[in-house]
Amino acid sequence: MSDALVQIDQLKAVARRIRREIAEISIVTGGHIASSYSCLEILLALYQAGVMRVRPHQPDWPQRDRFILSKGHAETALYVVLADLGFFPCEWLSAYYRAGDHRLGGHPDRSIPGVEMTTGALGHGLGVAAGLALAARMDGQPQRHYVLMGDAECAEGSIWEAGMFAAQHQLGNLIGIVDRNRIGASDFTDNFIGLGSLVDKWRAFGWETEVCDGHDFAALIRRLRYAAQRETTTPFMLIAETVKGKGVSFMENDPMWHVKRLADADEIRQAREELADGGDDE
Amino acid sequence: MSDLSRLQMRDAFIERLFERAKEDRDILFIANDFGAPSLDRFRAELPGQYINAGIAEQNIISVAAGLAMAGKKVFVYSIASFITLRCLEQIKLDLCCHQLPVTILGVGACYAYPEDGPTHHASEDISIMRSLVGLSLYSPADAQTAQELVDVALEQNAPSYIRLDKVAGITLGPGQDGLRVFGSGQDFCLLATGVMVHRALEVAQRLRDAGHGVTVVDLYRLKPLNSAALLALLPAFKRLVTLEEHTIHGGLGSVIAEFVVDHRLSLPLQRLAIADDHLYGYGSRSRLHQLAGLDCDSIETAIRDWGEQ
Repeated sequence: MSDALVQIDQLKAVARRIRREIAEISIVTGGHIASSYSCLEILLALYQAGVMRVRPHQPDWPQRDRFILSKGHAETALYVVLADLGFFPCEWLSAYYRAGDHRLGGHPDRSIPGVEMTTGALGHGLGVAAGLALAARMDGQPQRHYVLMGDAECAEGSIWEAGMFAAQHQLGNLIGIVDRNRIGASDFTDNFIGLGSLVDKWRAFGWETEVCDGHDFAALIRRLRYAAQRETTTPFMLIAETVKGKGVSFMENDPMWHVKRLADADEIRQAREELADGGDDE
Repeated sequence: MSDLSRLQMRDAFIERLFERAKEDRDILFIANDFGAPSLDRFRAELPGQYINAGIAEQNIISVAAGLAMAGKKVFVYSIASFITLRCLEQIKLDLCCHQLPVTILGVGACYAYPEDGPTHHASEDISIMRSLVGLSLYSPADAQTAQELVDVALEQNAPSYIRLDKVAGITLGPGQDGLRVFGSGQDFCLLATGVMVHRALEVAQRLRDAGHGVTVVDLYRLKPLNSAALLALLPAFKRLVTLEEHTIHGGLGSVIAEFVVDHRLSLPLQRLAIADDHLYGYGSRSRLHQLAGLDCDSIETAIRDWGEQ
C-alpha cells in the first residue's frame, strides 16, 4: 500500500472518530451536526493532509495560510478539527462549547485560537479573504487564503461581488470551496433558489473552477494541493459535492437536521452504531 | 497645501491623506466608482494605494476589513447614504466586531445632494452608525476640521465614520477634542453639527440682536462624546436647542437628550431636525431646508416661540 493510500486510510479513521465526537457533543449541547458532517472531509483535507501551512501552537504565525469558515454554522466540525490539531485544549469541547464562559460559541469568533474572523452571518468570508489576499500580494507574502462557503450561502449577492473583485484583482492566492450539499436551513436549494451550475457560474466570473466528491479524500487533496501550488493570477473555486448529514443515514439529505438536536434515544443509539469503528466507510 | 477656504471637505481631507499616503505605503484608498478632483492626483501618483472597487458596497467593506486585518490603514470613500446602509452588516461584523482601523468617508451629508432626491439623502446615518460598537463618528462643519481628521483617523486603531458635507468657504477655527464653542450667552445653547453649525451661527446672531444671550456649540465628534466638556458647559444654560440635518430619530437631538438624562441634568431641550417623512423636494440646499423647516427663519421662529412660552 502506498504512503498516499495509508494517509487516506488514516484520514478516514480520523473522520470517523471526529464524527463520533461531533455526535457526542451534539447530544450534550446541540450544535450544527448535519452541516458539520457535510464539510468534515473538506476541513480534514485542508488541515490534516498538508494542504494548509499552519502552526497550531502559534496560531498567529504571520506566514500561516488563512482559513475562513464563511459558513459559520459548521462550527462544531471546525472546533473539533482545531482541537484535534492542538490549537486549544480538547477539554474546551466538553466544558466550554455553548456553555460555561462560552469560549466556543455557537458560531466561530476571532477570540478562538485558529479562527481568523467572526462568522455566522453569511456572505462575509469571501470578501474579507479577498482583502487579506490582496494585502498579501501587495506585501509579497506567500500565504494562501481559503474560504469555505455553503451552497445556499451563494444566494448572498456579496459572494458574487467578492467573486468579481477577486478575478479583477487577479487574486491567484485565493481559494474558495463551496460545500455543495444542496440543502439550506429549511429546504433543498432547488426548491427556493436553484443555483444551477455553480461550476459554470464561477467560471463565468473568471475563476478556475473544478468539481469533485466532497467526501473523497483523494479527490479533495489532489485538487486542493493543485490549487495551492499553482503559480497563477486566477482565483480558484472548488465545488465539493457533499451530503448534508453525511455518515448517519437518517440525517443524510434531510433538511430538518440543519438545526435538530440529537436527543431521541433511538436516534442516539442508531447514530452511535453507524459511526462505530468497523462500520461502512463509504 | 491649498487655501482651505476654497476647498470642499472631501478635497481638504483627500489632500492631507495624499500627503500622509506618500510617506506610508500601508495607507489605502478604496472608492466605489466615485471620484473627486482631489482624487485624480492620488490615483495618478499612488496607483498602488488606490482601488476602485466598483459599485459593490458590501464587498468594499469586507475587502477593507481583510486589508486592515493584514495591517493596512484603509479609507473607504463613497456617497454617504450608500456606504452606511447598503453594507451595514459588513460594517457591524467585519469592521466593528474586529475593531479594525478602517475609516469610512461618507460624502454628502443628508441634503448635500439637494437635486437628487431621497435616494441620495443621508438622513439616518448618524442614528444608525452611532449604534455600532466601537465606531467613532465625526461630523465636521468646515474643511479645516475635515482635514485634521486625517491624522485623527490614522492614530485610531479602530473603525470610524466621517460624515463629509460639501460646504466650502468658511473656516471655523480650532476645535477642542470633538467640539468648539462660539459665544458665551446663557439664555440659549444651540448645539449643532455639520452644515447646521453655520445656520446656528446665523440664527444666534439674530437672537443676540433681539437681546438674547446665545452660545453655539459645534459638535463635530458625536461618538465618543466629549462628556467632560459638555458637563462643564451645559448646566449654565437656561435652554438647549439641537440643530441637525438628519432625522429626529437618533441623531444629535437624541445624543443630547440622552446626555441630559444620563447625567441627571435638569435642562429644557428643543430638538430641531427632520420630521419622520421622506423629502421629495429638489433644488437648492436652501430650498430643501425651507421644506424641512431647517432654514434660518424657521429655526429662529421655533426658538423664539419656545422662548416666549
